[in-house]
Amino acid sequence: MKHLSKSFGEIRALSDVSFEVSEGEAFGFLGPNGAGKTTTIRVLTGISPPTEGEAKVFGLDVVRETIAARRTMGIVAETSNAYDDLSGWRNMMFSAELYGVSRSTREKRAQELLELFGLWERRDDKARTYSKGMKRRLTIAMGLVNDPRLLFLDEPTSGLDVQSNLIIRDVIRDLNSQKVTVFLTTHNIEEANLSCDRVAIINKGRIAAIDSPERLKGTIQSVQSVEVAFESSSAATIDSLRTLAKVSEVRKEGDKFRLFTDDPPTVIEAVYSLAGAKGTRIVSLNTYGPSLEDVFIKLTGLEKHAKGVSTVD
Amino acid sequence: MTRPPLLGQFVTELRAGWAIAKKDMVIYYVRPNIIVTGLLFPLFMFLAFSVGNTQSPGAEIPGLLAITILFSASSIMPVSVPIERRTKTFDRLLSAPVSLNALVFGESMSGFLFSLAIAIVPFFAGLLIFNTPVNHAVALVIGFALSSFVVASLGTLFAAYPTESPGDVMSMLNVVRLPMMFISGVFIPLASIPEPWHAIIYFSPLTYGYDLIQSSYSGTTHIDPVLDVIMLLVFIAIFQVLAIRLYKRSSV
Repeated sequence: MKHLSKSFGEIRALSDVSFEVSEGEAFGFLGPNGAGKTTTIRVLTGISPPTEGEAKVFGLDVVRETIAARRTMGIVAETSNAYDDLSGWRNMMFSAELYGVSRSTREKRAQELLELFGLWERRDDKARTYSKGMKRRLTIAMGLVNDPRLLFLDEPTSGLDVQSNLIIRDVIRDLNSQKVTVFLTTHNIEEANLSCDRVAIINKGRIAAIDSPERLKGTIQSVQSVEVAFESSSAATIDSLRTLAKVSEVRKEGDKFRLFTDDPPTVIEAVYSLAGAKGTRIVSLNTYGPSLEDVFIKLTGLEKHAKGVSTVD
Repeated sequence: MTRPPLLGQFVTELRAGWAIAKKDMVIYYVRPNIIVTGLLFPLFMFLAFSVGNTQSPGAEIPGLLAITILFSASSIMPVSVPIERRTKTFDRLLSAPVSLNALVFGESMSGFLFSLAIAIVPFFAGLLIFNTPVNHAVALVIGFALSSFVVASLGTLFAAYPTESPGDVMSMLNVVRLPMMFISGVFIPLASIPEPWHAIIYFSPLTYGYDLIQSSYSGTTHIDPVLDVIMLLVFIAIFQVLAIRLYKRSSV
């Protein structure tokens, strides 16, 4: 994408967005609600033309060469949009026909995918009888039926059961090893951290950061933390921890305390001293570097509550 | 054998359009609201106007065919498209590697084929029960096919209205569909329509379709049959082009 902007009347959904994704890369796209993630996907898939700038997929302009560009893609929408009144098999056949896959190829490919996603035994059942996880797996299988070089995955594992999650993550890993480019938007920041080679964070229609997860974490070393659990603690313990030098914030997380700092060694020494002074023992103590979630929160300016991010798209 | 790129694309588009039509057939043809709108509604509408008529029942067959086409061919898309918008399956069609031409063609095709299947009933009823022979089979086939496709295209055009409620589309469509019955010669002979209103009949595609269909039975036409065919093709082109534009606008 080069200098791409998209406006809806007075509303500017995307402003001068530019990035490149290499072939075979797993690319994560994160951003809060209304940041422009869906608009970006709609532009990249040729559904919605950009107001300014250009977007190309494997050298094909998505506005002028829409059909050819789409042939290279598999698109898995956020909603599991398989046809409830068609069987799993017919859903696969319909998707393949839309992509112009020949009969012999589509039947072979559909069988492979339904087996891969654990749906082969249920292939003749209507999709309306599938569980949420099965429907999600079917939707992803439909997105892969044309053997795409680029797969758009919008929230692939959101709200799914453990089995579906594991299958989908394995498939993403396999695709990546087969040099299929994966463009992943997700609520699950840890999923992006584990699955993606690079991550872009979009906020208010602009790219706030784009880099590998580890490099992004390296940009905010000030949010390292020390997690400590005492054998006994009281309501006053958190106030005592807040008075320690080099501690910027203290948060109670279950039976543990998390102390944010840019100098973990100094804080560890101070915590030991405090435990001695209070006559208690330290049960566990761990240090953490910044998480991708911390980067996300810092760059998007979101509030972090006791249990994580408040609103993330 | 490798096809030239343009021909290859055309064949691919046709196949995609056919795939969309097949999908609609499996999902929507047997829905109760489609059956009511496409089969029972025209039948009872026809009975309401023809019972007590002094004409023989067989003479009413062209009118019954025309009404059946009008209601059946336009009944699929106003239901299927809003439902698919709601379930987000319509996004699947919009993001597929097929043009909007193929999408609109496929949707129209499903209405067209539905009306073929439904209209077989009054056709054979006329032939076998009321002994109503067809004098010009070619005129009947052309009139029937073009009328079905033009009405199916009209239904596809109205379904472009960006709503997730089939009722919204049906309400708007009925504003056009119901008056069409009365200005197309189906219930009131075209020659009997008073002069100030006479010009309106030429704005209804059903006028030309009904003229061809009834001529295949009676042998007489109100309009030149060639003009009937040309006008039906013009209406098909207008509805298809407008539908493509509206779907494009609503998808942005």
